[in-house]
Amino acid sequence: MKQNMSPLLDVRDLSVGFKIFEGYLSVLNGVELTLGEGERVGLVGETGCGKTTTVKSILRVLPMPPARIAGGEIFYRGKDILKMKRREVQTLRRMELTAIFQDPLMSLNPVFTVGTQLRDIVKDSLGASGKKLTKKQITARCIEALKETGMPDPERIMSNYPIQLSGGMRQRVCIAEALSTTAQLLLADEPTTNLDVTIQDQILRKLDELVEEKNTSVLMITHSLGVVMDLTQRLYIMYAGTMVEEGQTEELFASPLHPYSQGLMKSVPKLTGEGVSDGIPGRIPNYLDPPAGCRFEPRCEHTMPVCRTEKPPLFNVENGRHVACFLYRS
Amino acid sequence: MREQLKADLLVSLKQKRRGFAKGWYKFSRNLLSVLGLVVLILIVLAALLAPYITPYPEHAKPYTNFKDGGKPPSLEHFFGTDRVGRDIFSRVIFGYRFSLTIGVVVLSLGVAPGVILGLIAGYHKGTWIETVIMRITDIFLAVPPLVLALAITAMLTPNLTNQMMAIALVWWPWYSRLVFALASSLRNEYFVREAELTGASKLHIMLKEILPNCLAPVMTKMTLDMGIVILLGATLSFIGLGVQPPKPGLGTMVAEGSKRLPGEWWGAIFPALAIVVVILAFNLVGDGLRDVFAVEEV
Amino acid sequence: MTDTILVVDKLKKYFPTKRGTVKAVDNISFSVATGETIGLVGESGSGKTTTAQCVVGIYPPTDGEILFKGQTISEAFSKRSKALKRDIRIVFQDPGSSLNPKRSIKQILSVPLKVHRVATKKDHLTKIKSLLAMVELPPDEYMYKYPRAIGGGEKQMVAIARALATNPSLVLLDEPTSALDVSVQGKIINLLMKLQQDLNLTYLFITHDLSLMRNVASRVAIMYLGKLCEIAPTVEFFQNPTHPYTKMLLSAIPVVSQEEKALKPTKIASRGEIPSPVNVPPGCSFHSRCSEKMDMCAKDDPVMVEIGEGHVTRCHLFAEAKTTATIA
Repeated sequence: MKQNMSPLLDVRDLSVGFKIFEGYLSVLNGVELTLGEGERVGLVGETGCGKTTTVKSILRVLPMPPARIAGGEIFYRGKDILKMKRREVQTLRRMELTAIFQDPLMSLNPVFTVGTQLRDIVKDSLGASGKKLTKKQITARCIEALKETGMPDPERIMSNYPIQLSGGMRQRVCIAEALSTTAQLLLADEPTTNLDVTIQDQILRKLDELVEEKNTSVLMITHSLGVVMDLTQRLYIMYAGTMVEEGQTEELFASPLHPYSQGLMKSVPKLTGEGVSDGIPGRIPNYLDPPAGCRFEPRCEHTMPVCRTEKPPLFNVENGRHVACFLYRS
Repeated sequence: MREQLKADLLVSLKQKRRGFAKGWYKFSRNLLSVLGLVVLILIVLAALLAPYITPYPEHAKPYTNFKDGGKPPSLEHFFGTDRVGRDIFSRVIFGYRFSLTIGVVVLSLGVAPGVILGLIAGYHKGTWIETVIMRITDIFLAVPPLVLALAITAMLTPNLTNQMMAIALVWWPWYSRLVFALASSLRNEYFVREAELTGASKLHIMLKEILPNCLAPVMTKMTLDMGIVILLGATLSFIGLGVQPPKPGLGTMVAEGSKRLPGEWWGAIFPALAIVVVILAFNLVGDGLRDVFAVEEV
Repeated sequence: MTDTILVVDKLKKYFPTKRGTVKAVDNISFSVATGETIGLVGESGSGKTTTAQCVVGIYPPTDGEILFKGQTISEAFSKRSKALKRDIRIVFQDPGSSLNPKRSIKQILSVPLKVHRVATKKDHLTKIKSLLAMVELPPDEYMYKYPRAIGGGEKQMVAIARALATNPSLVLLDEPTSALDVSVQGKIINLLMKLQQDLNLTYLFITHDLSLMRNVASRVAIMYLGKLCEIAPTVEFFQNPTHPYTKMLLSAIPVVSQEEKALKPTKIASRGEIPSPVNVPPGCSFHSRCSEKMDMCAKDDPVMVEIGEGHVTRCHLFAEAKTTATIA
């Protein structure tokens, strides 16, 4: 169900490509995504589907050659991020957007202690919003932030270097960094993929609590279906640079409509022990020469002539469910 | 079987051609590197065709004509003439022959042993083999290159051949160290471990698994080194321990010309500039090569 | 009665480091029957990878024995016979680094053939083609490709073909599909199962993905900080877990359907961080995170006891049960 007010984040028909030696990689092909205030939305897709490119586009951190914005807009609170000047983008990144990435060891600077890095962020964001904080206050705030993520012994952690911490603890530091800003939108790109299952469980539950408390909007990007099931209210499924399905998480899981979503759900090994399905035959399309119509068509069982020539838009199926498939052309 | 070999060869040639085209694309995006390459090609061609394209090829041999001595640069003598009356331009072109020869020979002599030793040491990291090889390498590296080259040349008769051998002896340890670093980290890769578990011989692992992954940095370094080797050769000649007069080594010419500074400046400046140009060209090409070999992330 | 192909008896592997001794594998025992798939499950520091590495020969054991087809194989790798290297093979986790990027697939596959003289040089090509066909990769298309030109799933299939090139009996699979997308995973798993049938292979399957394990293994063994916690036939393992760590792990699995949710044990909130293997807690190594901890757990290390058919567990809660289990 869409929000009545205008969405916090509104990606419209975003197309992004990369110029390389072999030609032009047409990766994102008309991506549509909205995120309302306080909403928790998942973005599920496999390797190479373009989810990281989408995140990078939102944050404007794509290397501009070779990347090229071929079209579309990304509206944040009504303003197009893609048209903003550098200064504006920097302010946006500092005050409004925050992100957690997959490998915390890469996100944390190895030569500074956790305390130094956290203090930097807390000082920067709170200071900029007008309040002047003393050193003590900043440190206290940092320790508070760490405690909130369930970190054991936060005072000691402040003086540790990232390399001295375990993967789970590092990710907790990243979460503390991300959530101690004034940011309203959290982009989480595979935040728990590298972690052990029991730690992943803890961290996801903690994240759940924290975003609930602060009413942060979250875009959770992952290839793991199980992770989004509990954490998100709405879900997008992405394939080869387009959104192929969108809907309320529970509904989508219960009855996926797009052939790709169906294939994906079937591919996940189940605890019920019925064996492993063969997955989806074929490979993701070659972005140098992608299909002109629906990009999933070469692998689809239900293909029709129109699928080869036209790109299916997101058809509205019923109360908020959208499927980019001609099977559902109402 | 023979058809299969032919098919193998065809595919591999096609792949190499494509790889080359891609490499050229990456290289050509860097204008300076292309400039360096063009200059380099010109120098090499000039050196090869020296007897045919220089205006006064006989001036590279023993020649005197005091009447023409000390003439400044003019249309007849682009770089002027030296004290003895020889055309400096022609001699500089011939001088490139020595420089390029030094570069090629030294690297041919020095790189191979260095790479092999580094490979063996890197693969056997942690054993006495590594210790022996790398400590010997360290000893050679501890002595400043010029001093070592000087010492060796001084012990032998100063001439081009000995000069080249001396520099080669100075040069190999840098490659040993480079390949050692590469090999010792590659050793822990899964594919090397796989080969070991399969039971492949050490020789196979070193030559077929590890070495191919070391070639790119080695080739880049070789290109960049050409410039330094040429400089070292010129320095030795300048001191009198390399190419002996009346042969037109670039360093030798700078030495002779420098006696005439600042009055008859062309005798020293043009050979010196020639050295600068060739080194710069190699450096630019080396930079470009580094870009070619860099793995692109999209 | 199927034969036992592999017996691991009181295996220990310690690594001395500056910060203390890392007890990667600390006294584990289990056996594997020919043709079965034994699953080894655990998180970081559990020792599952080190166990596999000891079996395949990367490390010689610090103590204990490994018996393969009745023969001791626990000496250093250099002393292992070529026949043994042929017979026990391993597929690594990361397909990206298990294939040499500078060698073509044909060259990669010819290495085991050459080393073990599986085929004469003339027949190499035919054999390579048949290996690629076996893993369902069109031979003419893939032979000359380089690893960077093929996808993760295909790379892994090449790695499997390479492992099977020498007609082994035992194959160790260390997280073979963890780095791959789920839509590619199924094909590879089903291929592995089919090959197991066709070639009568025994698998030691390591993964942290319990949902996958449920569908792949015939028996599951779970490890924590170098020790075995529980071993049971698959269905029993999932339906009737006894060890608190097993229950904690099972309740943490992310699942996608309501019926699966119903199958999970009641939520045991996982707590605490996994201790470092240098600082193993005294007594039962799991006691620092256990929700059912008793006083004795901090002092005495429990022993493995048999509590059902082929089901053993190592926890004081079950100490009154049957006598100490011998190798399960």
